[in-house]
Amino acid sequence: MRLPCRNYGRWGTCNMSTPLTTQPDQGPALHVVIVGHIDHGKSTLIGRLLHDTHALPIGKLEEIQAAAERQGVRWEFAHILDHFAEEREKGITIDSAQMQFRHRDRTYVIIDAPGHREFLGNMVTGSSQAEAALVLVDVTQGIQPQTWRHCYILGLLGIRSIAVLINKMDLVGYSEDAFNRMKQDVEQVLSACGVTAQEVIPIAARLGENLTQRADTMPWYQGPTVLDALGHFQSAQVVREELRVPIQDVYDVDGQPMAVGRIESGVLRAGRSLWVMPEGRPLSPSWAIRKYLQPPLAEAQQGDCIGIHVADSQLRRGQMIVDREAVACRDRIRASVLWLANRPGRVGDRAVWKGTTQEVPAQLTRIVKRFDPAEMAVVESNAAEIGPSEVAEVELLLAHPVVADAFGQIPQTGRFTLEMDGEPIAGGVVLAGE
Amino acid sequence: MMAIGLDGVPASLIRQFVDQGVLPNFARILGRGYRLHQMHVSIPEISSTCWTSFMTGVNPGEHGIYGFMDLRPQSYALYFPTYRDVQAPTIWDIVGGTQGGRTSSLAERFRGVFPEPLRAVVMNIPQTYPAQPMNGVLTAGFVCPDLQRGTYPDTAYQYLKSIDYVPDVDAEKAVTDKPAFLKDVEYALTKREEAFLHFFEQERWDIFLGVITETDRVQHFFYDAAQDPGHRYHDAFLEMYRRVDAIVGRLFDRFQNMTHGEGVFLTMSDHGFTVLDQEINLNAWLQQQGWLRLRDQGQWFDRIASESKLFAMDPGRFYVHAAGRYPRGTVQPSEKAGVLADLTGAVEGLCGPDGRRVVREVHLGERLYHGQARASAPDLVCVPNDGYDLKANLLQPAVFRKGPMTGMHTQYDGHCVLPESLPVEGQLHIEQLAGTILECLAKSCTLAC
Amino acid sequence: MDHLTALENKSIYIIREAYAQFPNMAMLWSIGKDSTTLLWLCRKAFFGAIPFPVIHIDTSYKFPEIYQFRDEYAKKWGLNLIVGRNEEQIQAGMAPWKGAKLDCCSALKTDALKSTIAKYGFDALLLGIRRDEHGIRAKERVFSPRNQQFAWDYQNQSAELWDQYRSESEEGGHLRVHPILHMTELDIWQYIQRESIPMTPLYFSNEGKRYRSIGCTHCCTPVESQASNVSEILIELQTTTTAERAGRAQDKEDAFTMQKLRALGYM
Repeated sequence: MRLPCRNYGRWGTCNMSTPLTTQPDQGPALHVVIVGHIDHGKSTLIGRLLHDTHALPIGKLEEIQAAAERQGVRWEFAHILDHFAEEREKGITIDSAQMQFRHRDRTYVIIDAPGHREFLGNMVTGSSQAEAALVLVDVTQGIQPQTWRHCYILGLLGIRSIAVLINKMDLVGYSEDAFNRMKQDVEQVLSACGVTAQEVIPIAARLGENLTQRADTMPWYQGPTVLDALGHFQSAQVVREELRVPIQDVYDVDGQPMAVGRIESGVLRAGRSLWVMPEGRPLSPSWAIRKYLQPPLAEAQQGDCIGIHVADSQLRRGQMIVDREAVACRDRIRASVLWLANRPGRVGDRAVWKGTTQEVPAQLTRIVKRFDPAEMAVVESNAAEIGPSEVAEVELLLAHPVVADAFGQIPQTGRFTLEMDGEPIAGGVVLAGE
Repeated sequence: MMAIGLDGVPASLIRQFVDQGVLPNFARILGRGYRLHQMHVSIPEISSTCWTSFMTGVNPGEHGIYGFMDLRPQSYALYFPTYRDVQAPTIWDIVGGTQGGRTSSLAERFRGVFPEPLRAVVMNIPQTYPAQPMNGVLTAGFVCPDLQRGTYPDTAYQYLKSIDYVPDVDAEKAVTDKPAFLKDVEYALTKREEAFLHFFEQERWDIFLGVITETDRVQHFFYDAAQDPGHRYHDAFLEMYRRVDAIVGRLFDRFQNMTHGEGVFLTMSDHGFTVLDQEINLNAWLQQQGWLRLRDQGQWFDRIASESKLFAMDPGRFYVHAAGRYPRGTVQPSEKAGVLADLTGAVEGLCGPDGRRVVREVHLGERLYHGQARASAPDLVCVPNDGYDLKANLLQPAVFRKGPMTGMHTQYDGHCVLPESLPVEGQLHIEQLAGTILECLAKSCTLAC
Repeated sequence: MDHLTALENKSIYIIREAYAQFPNMAMLWSIGKDSTTLLWLCRKAFFGAIPFPVIHIDTSYKFPEIYQFRDEYAKKWGLNLIVGRNEEQIQAGMAPWKGAKLDCCSALKTDALKSTIAKYGFDALLLGIRRDEHGIRAKERVFSPRNQQFAWDYQNQSAELWDQYRSESEEGGHLRVHPILHMTELDIWQYIQRESIPMTPLYFSNEGKRYRSIGCTHCCTPVESQASNVSEILIELQTTTTAERAGRAQDKEDAFTMQKLRALGYM
């Protein structure tokens, strides 16, 4: 007669230990979005990753297990992410949730994106924060239309660091053959989306195989584990040449205007000549870089929030500080947009175009091509409308010129949202050329 | 082995009701080789303490539960002891091999006696929340804030949920809506019986412990109805007893069938009951005596001002506000005996409005309690005379009060119905029962082997 | 750019965006470590002079150390401090022991905040909430609308793309802005260490105990700890099991038990 015990199934052992730290990371965190169909094991993957990298506070796992029991639901690693009660009842992830873990002195922020079509806005929100992506595919199911759409969006968002994870290898007896076939399929789809995978990895998330440790069950696979692959991804911020500092606001500090903003691109160096766009006029040369309460800086980096202290009373929010006179400003923009609103967008629609701190009324003048990423097919050329969750190549006319760089060149100033009544109805990226 | 607990049911009332024909099943059982004993219980005679004494078979000095509430060591922080705070292993831990890190004099006595774990069904014993893993099934009794957390294993909870089982009734209704309250009691009793019978039949068990708490709930508010045929709720009171009697009878019969008459059956209570005349607020009294002062800042016992010498907790527990024991304590070790002597004198002289002494017995904590949990024991405890219920409210100013309750606990009039084959020497005490039960189980084990 | 600087920049961007969009804004300061860090970030964002009021919702049960710290730094940092109290309920003796603890929080905190917002007509509030705090907060948006009833429609949140935050609050409602949503408890302490941000002594060990989370005296219990400075806290954070808010006694079970005991004439 033995003590009855609760058996949660066979979990892999994990013998990694994360060293304690009092020192913060030397580099910024890497934001990784995880895309894939709901049933392909995303939430389990994330829960497992967090667990195996010791990211969960001690005792948290027991707490979550107990909570699941109270809900009358069998506990799973996916519960670690699902905080909403509604989600637990429905079994769906609704929103993007962010969790993080550390590995080798680098922080990884994991963004889980929902799979359902209705929740596209949430998915894009999460992905817009990402610098890398893990694409999860169930080896027994193959790549789903959902996932195509997500991969297309990854391409649209310019995310290059992508690893494909072929999951549930345990269900196919860890067959190398099954993996290779799926790998081929996936690579074909990605290519159609304009995206290339840096790594394709066979895993079994539920059992922790090839996540943080190599699995004995797949000796034929010699590539990196998921954690290794993440380690190879570089943080996105490639420092570009062109300076772009959108002005957020102008304060009065010590009797003189302080234009504050974030350096979206380039490096700001004291003493250089600056111009104010879209007006195109030079900024008074006696400007200083100020940060918080420190004395003036010689230099500030891409990503820094700084203030430009200068005796110039014409500065206001929405202007852009640049380091070259000949920065193109335009009022006609060709862009790729993802339609987020529930109702279709039509030629002639008016909305507010928002790119960094620039905000200007705009009109949709032409829908060059309408494209359904789930079908991977052009629906219509010169269309009258764009359907929800569709991508379209469009032409926009703005009420006045703005600084809008091609997304491929300067992503930060090459992306924008369209808003109506305070709600984003589309997200878009500026295409090169006129 | 089957033990049915009936919270608060006094020996004298069983005797009376059996004689009056209100309890036919009890009458039948008593005629079949069982004897009714008047049983003394632990002091203080309160459910949390006494049920713990029953299930661990040791005195509060070993199990550490001195009441429904207590203060965290070295502080004024109020907390409500749960099963986690019980420091001695229970009957089912000892026979089931799930003692964990806990030990007691009883556990030591039976060390190695049960090499093969025995299974237990434990239903509704107070002070068992939250449910800990054990060999068998357990659902907690009073207080059970969350039935799922109070039941082990999960399958047992699923069953209880499916029958809409309730661990307790809402006592507030006994004041605001008596008919509704009595209906709730009826419902709870039905569910209690249903659950008991289910686990009786469906589980494999070696010992079954089931407690009915509704008796105590009803008696607190309707005890004056017990003896008064003219009382509005007299019939309802008797009806409840008949109901309980029927449940006991049914369980007894099934048990005798199952064990071919060989099984050991017993009923017992955690304390007795009597009519309540007055509630005595000991903290109000202490303030009147000048021994306790409360400040306006802080919460609950954190309001005890430094110059206080004593304070009290439900029911009848006194604590010396000692330096070193409490953050603001000022009573030095050398003064302690004197303070307690003064207190004893004063409390023995305390008389109610009718001139009777309020307190029947005064005990020094250090004489009464012994064991690993002595350090948190009260310094002095009182057993009241019938009719005077000792309280320790911090908010009410009056020393004497008549509230909505009409019944109170007694320490000397608990009951125990035991087979005549189990002889009892001298005065039966609740702290002995667990040992007796374990001996029976040990014997039946050796017989079976 | 190192990790903390990246987090700091992100927070400052959000704070400045909020101020640019909402003319009538305020910040909630509980004098705890998160909101004091937020206050520090606001000082940085505005070059030392915070241009909007800082609200302290005072239940009257706060630790004396909290009041002391508040007054000292309100003065030092030249804050426009608004103390919001539900005076009526405090005078009436509302306390955690008067009924359920949640009622006390509701009356003394939520209602006090509601009336403060109504009185000044704030259309946005900065709060020091972090995503890694318990449960439902892990799903918050950076800019999160509340309607007049303070209800939050968390199932229908609009998208937040590329630091474009919503710029309109609901009619009669207000917008909650969470500039430190992306910082974890560990990040916060590391940042406090780096910046030497002053903290109330309650966070540090006193006679073997310290508070991991501070609020009102009655509902906060200290934890066993020897950590007497930030470095020690950082080590402790990674080796302890207590959830951050375990010290806070928003403990429904205790409230349940108390109610049951009261009904039976105890307490």
